[in-house]
Amino acid sequence: MRMIATIAKLLVKRVLTAIPILLLVSALLFCILRILPVDPAAMSLPPNATVQEVEAMRTEMGLNLPLYQQYGIWLNKLFHGDIGRSIHFRQDVTSLIGSTLPATIELAVIAMMVATVFGLAGGLFLFYVRGTRAEAVMDFVSILLLSLPEFLWSLFLLLIFGVFFEVLPFTGRLSPGFERPVVTGFLLLDSLITGKISTFLNALQHMILPCLALGIALSPSLMRVLRSSLLDAYQDDYIQQARLRGLSEKRILIRHGLKNAILPTLSLMGVQFGFLFGGTLLVEIIYSYPGMGNLMVDAIRNADLPIIQGAGLTYCVAVLVISIVVDSLYLILNPKLRVR
Amino acid sequence: MAILPTRNPILSAQNLCVESVGAKESFPVLTDLNFSLEPGKILGLVGESGAGKSMIGRTISQYLPKGFAVTKGTLAFDGEDLVSMLPERRRNLLGRDIAFIPQEPLSGLNPVLTVGQQIKEHLLRIGLAPGENWRERALKEFESVHLPHGAALLEKYPHQLSGGMCQRILIAMAFASRPRLLIADEPTTALDVTIQARIVKLIAEMQKRDGTAVIFITHDLRLASQISDEIMVLYAGRPAERGPAKQLFSSPAHPYTRCLQLANPNISGPRRGLFILPERMPGLRVLKELKGCRFASRCPNAIEACTQAEPPLADIGPNHIAACIRTEKTPDIVPPPMAPGREIASAKIHLNGEKLTKAYTTAWSPFAKRSSFKAVNSVDFSLGEGEFVGIVGESGSGKSSLARLVVGLDTPTDGRITLAGRDVTGNGNAEKAYRREYIQMVFQDPQSALNPRRRIGSIVTQANEASGLHNSTRERMDRAAELLKEIGLPPDAAMRFPSQLSGGQKQRVNIARALCTLPRILVADEIVSGLDVSVQAQLLDLLLKLRDEHGFSMLFISHDLSVVRYLCDRVMVMYRGEVVESGRTETVFADPQHAYTRSLLAAVPPDDVNAEWSPVLAEAGYQVE
Repeated sequence: MRMIATIAKLLVKRVLTAIPILLLVSALLFCILRILPVDPAAMSLPPNATVQEVEAMRTEMGLNLPLYQQYGIWLNKLFHGDIGRSIHFRQDVTSLIGSTLPATIELAVIAMMVATVFGLAGGLFLFYVRGTRAEAVMDFVSILLLSLPEFLWSLFLLLIFGVFFEVLPFTGRLSPGFERPVVTGFLLLDSLITGKISTFLNALQHMILPCLALGIALSPSLMRVLRSSLLDAYQDDYIQQARLRGLSEKRILIRHGLKNAILPTLSLMGVQFGFLFGGTLLVEIIYSYPGMGNLMVDAIRNADLPIIQGAGLTYCVAVLVISIVVDSLYLILNPKLRVR
Repeated sequence: MAILPTRNPILSAQNLCVESVGAKESFPVLTDLNFSLEPGKILGLVGESGAGKSMIGRTISQYLPKGFAVTKGTLAFDGEDLVSMLPERRRNLLGRDIAFIPQEPLSGLNPVLTVGQQIKEHLLRIGLAPGENWRERALKEFESVHLPHGAALLEKYPHQLSGGMCQRILIAMAFASRPRLLIADEPTTALDVTIQARIVKLIAEMQKRDGTAVIFITHDLRLASQISDEIMVLYAGRPAERGPAKQLFSSPAHPYTRCLQLANPNISGPRRGLFILPERMPGLRVLKELKGCRFASRCPNAIEACTQAEPPLADIGPNHIAACIRTEKTPDIVPPPMAPGREIASAKIHLNGEKLTKAYTTAWSPFAKRSSFKAVNSVDFSLGEGEFVGIVGESGSGKSSLARLVVGLDTPTDGRITLAGRDVTGNGNAEKAYRREYIQMVFQDPQSALNPRRRIGSIVTQANEASGLHNSTRERMDRAAELLKEIGLPPDAAMRFPSQLSGGQKQRVNIARALCTLPRILVADEIVSGLDVSVQAQLLDLLLKLRDEHGFSMLFISHDLSVVRYLCDRVMVMYRGEVVESGRTETVFADPQHAYTRSLLAAVPPDDVNAEWSPVLAEAGYQVE
């Protein structure tokens, strides 16, 4: 009960502090993008428009008002869920983000799950073989893994499983010919809800390569942090004391060692997950995955300011949400953080 | 002692040798250990750190440090050899028939599990009676170690409890299976005297209830002689002397035992000097080359013959043996006379505190009312020139908080501090600079007080960085050489790193650093706790010698009353943030006026081994925990 109260307190506190952060970020986004030498009015008109037409457009778009007034108008619209209209795609930014964000979340979540499985298993194995020759080998392997970035993994996996063995698809989220159910926007979830198992399996196949590429790239640092936190935990008296009480090594590892060592690993995972939101970009491009990353690249290439602003804000919200979730998990796992 | 029919020993060692088995050469850690322990008896293991005391416990569990192994002899538990036993069988004995109580109660429990989760795990492993609920059983075990509010305790995490409570929980767990053998490795070293007394009494009480055989490992000979039936004094991995506790303590046969005894300050009677054991125990490498007695290099009675051959353990009385060829000379060893006391009354007052109060308030939160707690409550004190004033009390009594106010690490909430006539209560930058010239602090743990990445020479002259005076490399190295000479370290120590020094040497460096700019006042917070008595004696004498040379005064905080009695001219007894009694050390200790002082003094094991030790006084109002 006390734990729930403590977490509720944390949530209230964090949501309250999130408001000024979001305001600051939105102001920054707005100002920086205004300073760019790009004229949104000229861009939204055909190239043969006259100067008068551009001026008229500027007035219509409110671009001749002072900057703070423009920001006020923008912010007001933002509160009503209107981030603006994409100049390039001629669509509402909300609906563009609404259709690409779930794809990226799906990618990031599954990639994080892959990284967690690999990271925990690898970390436990590294710890298990400590002091043996296998440790040196594993150490070498983990450093090798650590030094390869995710886009190289993407290319390797694509070439091996997609092009050479032709066992897995490597473009988009679905093969042609599959019907796309839309309920929540999360493809895997929607296909399950609507009972379209073949769609689900096909979508899952499409996820394998990009998620593996991201997961493998993230896992070595998790392995190494888990290993070193386990080594630290095993220096502590309670491990020795558990041994002297005759507990089995397996029980000591899972119940006493891992439970303490998981804390630093968890905070690293939180940081990684935050980065993952921006970090899926290259992988999305390589696998032509229709997520936020691809949307951002298009937006930047076309100087599509409303999308850049919308994506920037989305990123900020995502990072805040992740940090709140990680901190709550921390509270659950680490009793020392709970108030007496 | 009544002569009992000889029973089968529960634990017996025969010619037990433990060595570190390196790739090229091996070093002995324990050599030719012979002892047997009968059910219901307590064997005290005494010696300096590195003597191999803890190694015996680790050999019993066979969780030896990496690279160490039993190379010779047997160690039998109830007739079964623990060394050659199958690991599964041995693991089965651990926690059930052989129980352990650790040194650090707070870290002996897993920080992320509740007390209930941990005791449940243990109770389920040792097995419950049919139909018995683990919770009821846990509460029953808590009751037997006098832990109140057992049900609430089950929900707590270790960090929410005091060290004494954690140790009681660990004792309850250890005795839950009614073990036949208990190994208690320095179970009270990390605790206050009053708690120590109660924990030791508790172990003895539980041991009597179950008829458990106990190995009680401690560096405190006085404590060991109070609780044990038999004592074995270890020196460099070999027994120096073994005998019935009272006899061994009242007439020690081995010079090492005698020296240990005399290195510890007495708590009653006239103050006597301390015997300073020179240097330290030989290292493993040296031991291997050594031909004669291991103690010869430090022994005041050593003669030529001592360095020729290792002395055998010879009988010197009933059940009393010692490894010395000149046991008859041992009683001749006497400590140097006590330096005459100083006349302080006329001394000029350096430092003065009036109605000092430090209150801590909880952080602001919209959910809870702020509460305040007075760590130091209206304390008056003064420190004269050249005077050593001791502050004693249990943890939480406000000793360290007062020290922080004096050195300016904290600002008092109320009251006034004057230093050499100037008010320094405000603690602004000017006051800080002024204070720095006068006061320096020596911290408790040299391990963490010395920056591991700096050389000793630069550590001891750190104060020059702050003052900016004499801060050239040349000047600093010269000053470092002077300081090292004063604290008795070789000049080449200046180029070493803290990790290359022993614990005692590090604490000397810690003192030298405080002395660098010749402050008029030192504030020392528990600077000898956790050190061996031999090292403690060296440091106490060093402080007295340095006072003679430089004439500084000192606020000396300690939970060890006998050390304060030896070192300090005046003493202040603190209890819950207030000074309950103060005065000349000898007067206060000989005739304590306040009930709390009396209960503190009663908790110290008496000098006379035959005197009754009744630490738990009826004055229950003064029990902190």
